[in-house]
Amino acid sequence: MVAVLPNQHPEEERLLAYATGSLGEVKSLLVATHLALCPLCRASVEAYEAECGGWFDGLGGGAEDDRWSAMLAACDARLDTAVLPPPAPRSTLPMTGPLVPEPLRGRLGRPLFDFGWNEIAPAVWLSDWTVKDAQTTGCLLRMGPGAPVPPHHHSANEMLLVLTGAFHDEYGHYRVGDVADIPADTDHYAVAEHGGDCVCLFLLDGEIRFL
Amino acid sequence: MTSVADRTNEELVSAIAVDRDRTAFAALFRQYGPKIESYALRNGAGRAAAEELVQDVMLTVWLRADSFNPALASVGTWIFTIARNRRIDRIRKETRPEIDPNDPALLPVADLPPDRVLELSEDRRILSVAMNSLSPEQSEVLRLSYFEGKTQTEIAEERNIPLGTVKTRMRLALGHLKRTLQPRMV
Ligand SMILES: [Zn+2]
Repeated sequence: MVAVLPNQHPEEERLLAYATGSLGEVKSLLVATHLALCPLCRASVEAYEAECGGWFDGLGGGAEDDRWSAMLAACDARLDTAVLPPPAPRSTLPMTGPLVPEPLRGRLGRPLFDFGWNEIAPAVWLSDWTVKDAQTTGCLLRMGPGAPVPPHHHSANEMLLVLTGAFHDEYGHYRVGDVADIPADTDHYAVAEHGGDCVCLFLLDGEIRFL
Repeated sequence: MTSVADRTNEELVSAIAVDRDRTAFAALFRQYGPKIESYALRNGAGRAAAEELVQDVMLTVWLRADSFNPALASVGTWIFTIARNRRIDRIRKETRPEIDPNDPALLPVADLPPDRVLELSEDRRILSVAMNSLSPEQSEVLRLSYFEGKTQTEIAEERNIPLGTVKTRMRLALGHLKRTLQPRMV
């Protein structure tokens, strides 16, 4: 079987920020889940990591020998008893319904449709599952077939990652694995395509206002 | 046996993985300990937290040496990724979301049509060419902002240049990367 690559990718600066480690946790969750479905962006992240390796190699080292000898001795004394931290928990759920990749699957902890849903417009819902960091809030956005998300204005970045189904907006068509990265201060609408509910990971940096 | 001074970093990591060679470990520690500390300090960690990160990262190097693959990354890049992840974990108190290479939902490169696989290595090459063709000033704002986690205001103050100049350099640098990569997106 020949796999289908995503067509719509995160902005280049997101991949750079993910590689350097400066991207916040919630946006990193979206980017990493896209990476599971996108070998193209995985290659970009590896290239950015190689750049970081060059910057890292370029960092100087103050050769304060006594201090570094003491630190080395302290580290050496721990080598025989050191153990790795436990690996990040992975989901052990039976994978029913649409297959959501890690790392999102483990964070959801439940099959995709098994959440409480708050209707924000006819046949458009937000999940009661949410994630949050200092800058960004995320939840699931579910759109019934053909159901439009009413026009809204955002004062801050909005990002969507399609998990099942498909939708389109004024910028293009989005299928599973595609990312819509919508800049601040734009008006925006989205419509699910026919053929089933569309569920996206939906991130927002600030307030959302429906017009 | 060759002396430590004659061995490449790749050979030092391999000696740790295969022989549990403490002399090789000490050589890597002397070389990379100060880089890890400097990386943590530049990202705003205090002196004590930075020293703890050095210990934590170097212990991980000791325990994970067998997972280092020189075909995938240089030793510097490999240790950077450990330092980055441990810093997020310990200092930012967040968990870094990462792919699981064994995830059945992951799209492996092996499933791609052969022409797309070629494109991947081409992509990596194009990207490093793009990074290397940035002006030194543009490359510096990317490094300070993304690698050292500084705000644009901090960069302007630190370098004693107007904030507008920082913003312009950043915009030009990101625009350059984006333009270089655009052909692959169609
Ligand atoms: Zn991608």
